[in-house]
Amino acid sequence: MQRRTFLGSSAVAAVAGASTAAAQSSSGAAGAIRRVLITSAEHRLAQVLADSLAETHEVRLTGLNPVESKHPFQQSDLGHEDPTDKLVEGIDAIVHVGEPLPNHDMHRQIDHLTRRTYNLLLAAAKAGVQKVVYLSTLELLTPYDAKFVVDEQWRPRPSLAGPSLPKHLGEYTCREFARVGKLPIVTLRLGKVVPAGEMSRGAFDPLWVAEEDVAQAVRLAITKGSEDTGSSLSRWTVLHISSGYGKARFDSSRAKRVLGYEPAHNG
Amino acid sequence: MKALILGANGYLGPHVIKALEADHELLITDIKPPPSETPHKFRQVDATNLEQVMDAAEGMDTIINLSVLRPHRVLAFGVNTLGCYNTMLAAVKHKIRRVINTGPHFTVTGPPYEGFDFDIGPDIPPQSGINLYAHSKSLGQEICRVFTEHHDIWVQEYLFYNFRDPAKLTPGGGGVPFQISWDDAGEIFRLGLKIDLDKLPSKCEVFYCLGDMPHGKFSNEKTKRILGFRPKDDLSAQWTRPA
Repeated sequence: MQRRTFLGSSAVAAVAGASTAAAQSSSGAAGAIRRVLITSAEHRLAQVLADSLAETHEVRLTGLNPVESKHPFQQSDLGHEDPTDKLVEGIDAIVHVGEPLPNHDMHRQIDHLTRRTYNLLLAAAKAGVQKVVYLSTLELLTPYDAKFVVDEQWRPRPSLAGPSLPKHLGEYTCREFARVGKLPIVTLRLGKVVPAGEMSRGAFDPLWVAEEDVAQAVRLAITKGSEDTGSSLSRWTVLHISSGYGKARFDSSRAKRVLGYEPAHNG
Repeated sequence: MKALILGANGYLGPHVIKALEADHELLITDIKPPPSETPHKFRQVDATNLEQVMDAAEGMDTIINLSVLRPHRVLAFGVNTLGCYNTMLAAVKHKIRRVINTGPHFTVTGPPYEGFDFDIGPDIPPQSGINLYAHSKSLGQEICRVFTEHHDIWVQEYLFYNFRDPAKLTPGGGGVPFQISWDDAGEIFRLGLKIDLDKLPSKCEVFYCLGDMPHGKFSNEKTKRILGFRPKDDLSAQWTRPA
């Protein structure tokens, strides 16, 4: 992949002119979401989301480490200094993938999803970011007996392992920003994200969800409410994102109802 | 009981030590050396350093976590959030069943909550808001709670706001409606080490630590009912009209 570094807002707009125009055309109304920042660029899912969103939005990636990407990229440790403020300047929405790096121990995972998330959200609120989509995990609910239909009304029961506890603490931080009205936040709890092709190979896993379906859910979470004022998204919305397979461990009824999510990959 | 005190050299620590020293063997720890000579064992421990916390907790019956850091983001999350994680890991490793953690009242009832209501008790889902101190402490408390769901550890979470010396009250001076004298604050820790763990309603209980305030804004009813707390010091003069 050819590496592209982060450019200033105006330069990015020029580079991504075509996609920006597409975004404007698709969203129309004032306050529409055009510029989207995606975190955890080191992670495959962040790249998949960037590819998908770039069709209609102006996308920027950020990560703790340098990353090769065809999309604009800005390295950031999401610290509490000016660079994080600058990172979110001009951004309309953030997709906080919040994935730990492979070498992150539990301390660093917790730090990433508490302190760094806090810094990111504080900067986002200050910059007037319109929406944050936080990617969490359905592992928070796997301790419940599989005989139950567990939806978003059930209390998370994190384990002490990663990514469960750190992701839960990330939700905790996001929730408080939403509660005090600083940012509208949609939390998408994902199963095990895999490429669609992988779902047809090997033994079925009831937690599987295709990354293409995750991309669809993220796109809907970003656009819903900015284009559609009749949306039932509140300032704090939690949605479960699963495959459409009937034997999936968790269903996505609420995401279907609220976002119009329609998983295409059913294992 | 052998008690490890983390962050013992802050404002509250000396009063906790005073309340416990007659009945318990104390290991005093802090990132800073003690301000004066202490008859207790002292060890320099940084709550953010897992190895140091682990070592200090060896052979202890209880951990009292008084460590706190307010203004700096890296340090606040390090001490207030990861410090709790380290405390709980040490409790697991050394089979310590009794942990007392501390924080400010807005760990639970932050600005989104406290402005609206009266007779506020601690048994509500935590709503810290995003104040750095409140939120980083609230995350620490949540870590403690999650540990109690997976291990045989009982956490008492003591929440404070303002402390007063009853000899230095200013009649009519006012102040926040959540205050306690230093001695009464220490007394709660003595009660917390005394109570049978089986008498706690659950493995993670939050207590509001305040005296008998005249406002009816916050409630210490649970602390009285469960721990047997009886505040000795009357702080109400601060809200009397000047003569």
